[in-house]
Amino acid sequence: MKENKFIYLYEDSFEELLYIFDYLIKRNLTPLDIVKEKDYVPNLLDPTIFLKKETKENMQNKYLNKTSKKIMFVIKDIYLSNACHKELISYYFLRNALKYQETIFYRKNLKCVNMALNISHYVRRETHKMKGFLRFQEIQNHILYAKMAPENNIIFALANHFKERLKNEIWIIHDVKRHIYAIYKENKIYFLQEEKNPIIKMTDEEKEIEHLWKSFFQAVGIEERENKRCQMSFMPKKYWRYLIEMEDENENNCNWKNVN
Amino acid sequence: MSTEEKLIILADGAKYDASCSSSGITRKNTGGIGNGAYSGICHSFSKDGRCISLLKILFTNCCIFDCKYCINRKSNQIKRAIFTPKEICEITIHFYRRNYIEGLFLSSAVIKNADYTMGKLIETITLLRTKYHFSGYIHVKAIPGASEVLIKKLGSLVDRMSINRELPSDQGLLLLAPQKNAQRIEHVMDLIDQNKNKNFVPAGQSTQMIVGATKESDYEMMKKSSRMYEKYHLKRVFYSAYISVNQDKLLPSLELPPLKREHRLYEADFLLRFYGLQVENLLDKNHPNFNVLYDPKVDWALRHMNEFPKEINKASYLDLLKIPGIGPTSAKKIISSRKYFKITFEDLKKMGISIKRAKYFILCNGLSFVNPKMLKKDFIAQNIILESKEVSEEKKGVQLSLFYEGE
Ligand code: SF4
Repeated sequence: MKENKFIYLYEDSFEELLYIFDYLIKRNLTPLDIVKEKDYVPNLLDPTIFLKKETKENMQNKYLNKTSKKIMFVIKDIYLSNACHKELISYYFLRNALKYQETIFYRKNLKCVNMALNISHYVRRETHKMKGFLRFQEIQNHILYAKMAPENNIIFALANHFKERLKNEIWIIHDVKRHIYAIYKENKIYFLQEEKNPIIKMTDEEKEIEHLWKSFFQAVGIEERENKRCQMSFMPKKYWRYLIEMEDENENNCNWKNVN
Repeated sequence: MSTEEKLIILADGAKYDASCSSSGITRKNTGGIGNGAYSGICHSFSKDGRCISLLKILFTNCCIFDCKYCINRKSNQIKRAIFTPKEICEITIHFYRRNYIEGLFLSSAVIKNADYTMGKLIETITLLRTKYHFSGYIHVKAIPGASEVLIKKLGSLVDRMSINRELPSDQGLLLLAPQKNAQRIEHVMDLIDQNKNKNFVPAGQSTQMIVGATKESDYEMMKKSSRMYEKYHLKRVFYSAYISVNQDKLLPSLELPPLKREHRLYEADFLLRFYGLQVENLLDKNHPNFNVLYDPKVDWALRHMNEFPKEINKASYLDLLKIPGIGPTSAKKIISSRKYFKITFEDLKKMGISIKRAKYFILCNGLSFVNPKMLKKDFIAQNIILESKEVSEEKKGVQLSLFYEGE
């Protein structure tokens, strides 16, 4: 591998990132870093190169053919994660995957493989947790609306989950950190990025149902077995903000803001 | 009485049932609302740290029985309530649409008689499945003594149906729940097992036993569990530490529920189900109870020191499983990785396998992590006890366990 001292910048899309990987693999380069262009804070010391895809070739298909579905899923997970230096980890993982193919999954003694699989695992675990922790509220026109602020960008997987589950509803999932909305109506999901917040009207009935849920939540807990530490380790505070049943705890405990 | 009052009373009455899992089924949404997720989903965690997956309620807490340990027994002076089927359906749908829950867990006290109660459960679930088009997860409790036709009918509507064994021995049951009958309870289990197919209780059955209400030892408890697993193919046995809710001369006077003991039983149960170990591997008549100081695997290993240390690069799958701290996931990782490289202690760490426990019981390429001369029973026992204290200190800060092993 040839060393090179550049930081490569990419426009935020999976295809663009794969294009940079492709570019570097072809030239057998080890970059200083690979960073999303809009996240990059310029400074005078690092030489940067901004690369934009120049070919019609579909990069996802190209690397799917060269590796496997399972490998590409890991690379996609990493792309959606919030891990530091995820692009670099993912790049080295892909290079090794081209060499070792499926046996890559057993080569955890390679640093990049171990890191890559841990990140992917973390993204999947958070997706699974959020399938449970997401809370919809009914707003005007019987639309279900849910806010969330996950660590990783998991809205796509979540939307697919609720597409099957809440088939006959109209619903909106809102990632408030990334300003992404998933809007579902009549068997179709639309994704959009929008900084403005929607105008929400909650009905009185909605407040009653939320109250009913809180009463249930209080009633099922067993006093004699109280174990808040255990509760918190399964349901970390960073998720409490949008959990209706934890609202009172949020009020009693203003520290939650510092937990993220 | 308002729906909310009823909900509070009837959730309170159902909370002692430990089962809340929603796994084991991929039910399709058939055009209405809901589907099943095979791996199960926890929607919240109550203040006792237990997963909330289902709307866990009783149809009613009015009971003609007088089981000594039960808060709902006939002789108790408590607030009583009865839901209507419609109320249950509406709460379920309201909660499900908002993603509060994965489905419904419906149990009931025995009102009038077993068949009448069972009829009410059937009416409720039928309404929920047909009129409300609910395809989410449903777990019901069969009523002891209900007739076969009704059990078959209810089973065809739900994902899981189960009946609680309550106590491991027949004498125990006779003493504390004289109106229930061991043969009748197991007959229902048998019936569920015989009829199980993709349209009848597809997620299988479970049961629950109370820990510490009667004098049975851990050995008797585990023997009973393993017999039920074998005979009725149960998915799970739940253990519920006895909580003293009633005063009765037949009941023990426990200040606190025996949570540690309950925990050990769960660990041992896990070993039976996933490790292929037998009860006799863990306990026997001379050693009928688990050590509350350390887990059953450590307990066993310390009594069988001649089997250790085991070489990570050579030991068979079953032998790897016997090493304290190594679970099925880790054992599989080891087996598949060692084809490609010789595993060192450093590699175990990289693979996300903790050697905190295991280090006293393994060799990597002939090397021991601890001075081999020190590997004596007392030394290990002391260290493990002290280390487990450290762990609980560390756990205070635990946020998200990335390497969850399911143990
Ligand atoms: S049958 Fe026994 S255990 Fe069940 S509710 Fe009635 S008293 Fe309680």
